[in-house]
Amino acid sequence: MPSLLRQARVWQGFAALLALGLVIGPLGPLLAAIFRGDAFTQLGEARVALVFWRSVWMAALSAGLAVLVGLPLAILAHRTRVWGAELLALLTPLTLLLPPLLMAQGWNGLTGWDGLWASVFTLGMCYAPLPALLASRALAVQPGAAHESALLCGGRRLALREMLTTARPAVALGGSLAFLFSITDFAVPDYMAALGDTFGVYPGHVFNHFRDDDYWAGARAAAPLILLCALVLYLGLWARDRWSQETPGSGRQADALDWGRATPAWSLLAWSLLGLTLLLPLGRIVFELGVAGPEAPGTWGSRASESVQAAFDRGREDVGRSFSNASLAGLVALLLAPFLAHLLASRRGRTARLLMTLTALPLLVPGVGYGMGAIAFANRPGWSEFYQGTGLVVLVYAGRFLPIAVFLLAERFQSVPRSRDEAALTLGLSYPRRLLQVFVTPQLSAWLLAAGLVVVFAVRELDLAILLPGANQSAAVRYFNALHFARDGFVAAFGLLIAILLFLPAMLYAAWTSLRRRDV
Amino acid sequence: MRASLVPLLALVAWTLPACGGAEYDLVVYASHDQEHSEPIIKMFEERTGLKVRAQYDVEQNKTVGLVNRLIAEKDAPQCDVFWNNEIAHTIRLKRLGLTQPAESEATRAIPAEFRDAEGHWVGFAARARVLMVDPKQLEAAGTSLPPSIWEMTAAEYAKYGSMAQPLTGTTLTHFAVLSQQLGREQVLDWLRASRESGIALTNGNATSMKRVCQGDFPWCLTDTDDAAAAIANGYAMEVVYPDQTDAVQGTLLIPNTACMIAGSERMEAAQQFIDYLVSPEIEEYLANSRARQIPLHPEAKAPEGLQLPFRDFAVLAVDWEAAATELQEVEEEFQKIFTQ
Repeated sequence: MPSLLRQARVWQGFAALLALGLVIGPLGPLLAAIFRGDAFTQLGEARVALVFWRSVWMAALSAGLAVLVGLPLAILAHRTRVWGAELLALLTPLTLLLPPLLMAQGWNGLTGWDGLWASVFTLGMCYAPLPALLASRALAVQPGAAHESALLCGGRRLALREMLTTARPAVALGGSLAFLFSITDFAVPDYMAALGDTFGVYPGHVFNHFRDDDYWAGARAAAPLILLCALVLYLGLWARDRWSQETPGSGRQADALDWGRATPAWSLLAWSLLGLTLLLPLGRIVFELGVAGPEAPGTWGSRASESVQAAFDRGREDVGRSFSNASLAGLVALLLAPFLAHLLASRRGRTARLLMTLTALPLLVPGVGYGMGAIAFANRPGWSEFYQGTGLVVLVYAGRFLPIAVFLLAERFQSVPRSRDEAALTLGLSYPRRLLQVFVTPQLSAWLLAAGLVVVFAVRELDLAILLPGANQSAAVRYFNALHFARDGFVAAFGLLIAILLFLPAMLYAAWTSLRRRDV
Repeated sequence: MRASLVPLLALVAWTLPACGGAEYDLVVYASHDQEHSEPIIKMFEERTGLKVRAQYDVEQNKTVGLVNRLIAEKDAPQCDVFWNNEIAHTIRLKRLGLTQPAESEATRAIPAEFRDAEGHWVGFAARARVLMVDPKQLEAAGTSLPPSIWEMTAAEYAKYGSMAQPLTGTTLTHFAVLSQQLGREQVLDWLRASRESGIALTNGNATSMKRVCQGDFPWCLTDTDDAAAAIANGYAMEVVYPDQTDAVQGTLLIPNTACMIAGSERMEAAQQFIDYLVSPEIEEYLANSRARQIPLHPEAKAPEGLQLPFRDFAVLAVDWEAAATELQEVEEEFQKIFTQ
């Protein structure tokens, strides 16, 4: 028995079983629908096929836009000397904390844009941080030698091309993730269609079928979307692997590129890109705090102050509950993710890609289907306390968002030199200690970030919050309830409050590391 | 590494107590505006000493909400009372065998046309389907209002107005009622024509209302509570009750409904809560709220300026059972027209 506990396979197998246990209940019925013969016949109907293909090309355009904005933003913020580069890098991911619908409202309020193209644009801007974040990570470990030789041989132009080559694998994956989030988003196209020319998207078709009395109708409608998402993710992973270069993890990192006299122009470009993804719509949301009709009493300032006060007063307890549930889910991810990430990182090629695609399945299915599956699984006689309690919420959240943590950690673990692991093995360290000392401890910030992302997505999740009893009194439900009942000032204030609270740990961590760097 | 464990342990200490299931005397699912339903439920808790677990709903982000949760939970019901902000889905639940009679002296005080003959549901605090108008825009456009819902898509009116697509909420209910009363084919033809008519078709009543406030159109078809929200937000809007001529039958009124869920193990508390909801006091509370809901209880006092059914405007008579049947049958047809 003791020798068994020293083996990697045993621990990884146990973690995989636990992860499977978390997701099988909610996920099982949805996946079963894919294998039912009639799941794809509806695509033969011209109307449904038209809507499906429209969703595909719209999401492809949004993903393309996300890459076009995200990649330059990553390069400028992380690898060049533009003004306020650190702040740019810190603010880039903030967009991911804000609900896309809020961003859509911000853009519409700002520009008056609506309809199909406004939806493509908004989703592109909302998900630009995904390729930006992945690219920035790849650029951060770009070997100094490669960068300097490019700079010497071909100046800034070649150095930039070298950066693009370095970032390409990460961008391929980031772009495919932007596609997945765009194609499954219903709120933004629905909102933009409501304001301009009417058009339907496939998630709308899925939504309509989940309203049927028969659960299978929704599951069948979701099946083509799930399969397409899995395929796109696999292709993204394939592109990443194909374009990846072997880079020594312990090599000297490249210096930031100096723009010289062109610094103001490049800085302006960098901040303009951040303006598109974050600052402009955020500014509009702030403006919404006190917007009212011409006959409303008070000034903008007094109304904004009332909105913020109301957000604190009415939403405080819900925010606390949301963070509490999400934190526990993050904790589960913190414990399970290293084992699964190591399992994925130790595989290569097609096996690794297939494993990753399978791991991502809980994220690829519609939240409403996942929630319905959880009800079907856990709402049974004798389980009432478990079903009503927050234990179920934590397990369901953890299962759905664990893939995010696993992906992030697996990517970091892959950069750990194999020699270190082999040395630890030679020293006779048990697997848990090896995992902790060789992989987790050197990647402590990534480990915490992985759990932090699970918290962020769990706090943002709406469908599960409505469907699971223990999750209902939450920030997400209060926020969207107010949105439905047109409480604009409250919605803006509460959205900002949630975003700030989610972003606060990252800001504190950045400030702390910055101070430490200065001390050194 | 050890230092990093300190915040983790603190996190566990903070969050673990939340994991246990709590005991409740009553579970209420409420799809009404949380800002109003929450204090009403809290007031009930304070008065009775009963501990209520409230669950809320949203529609804006196209979630599948509490109705589907009730259906999904049918084998082991968790909810005792469903407070629905409309009526059609309540009848759908009754048809599925998910409700049970909950009649009392208090529920019988509500006029018969707003409660179920078998006592499965009772209506209160209604919304009317009205035209919300910006008089300044209307004058500037040099146009007038359509006198009837049916004329909204006529060439002289359509480009000045907006309505929600009849896919969810009260607009779906409204067109199901019209379909049941006037004939399905006529309504489907009208809806098909509406796509080409120039009327702006939005994703919900609130969006239509906002677009009028933004100055995009002079009028929209919406609910009285949305119009009241616009006025509360400082916009000079007027509310017009359509279909008030001899030729057409009256404005549609859609009440909130309360029903007791079949299999409820806390029937006494559930009945107590339903009686509380339909009391004149709660009707008055909702009538005075920002939503300005229309009281149905004969003893409820309406605030000044609130127009009352039968007294101030004619109401469309509805056979709700038949309308709910129609809704289930036409819903997919509506989807085919608008999901393209």
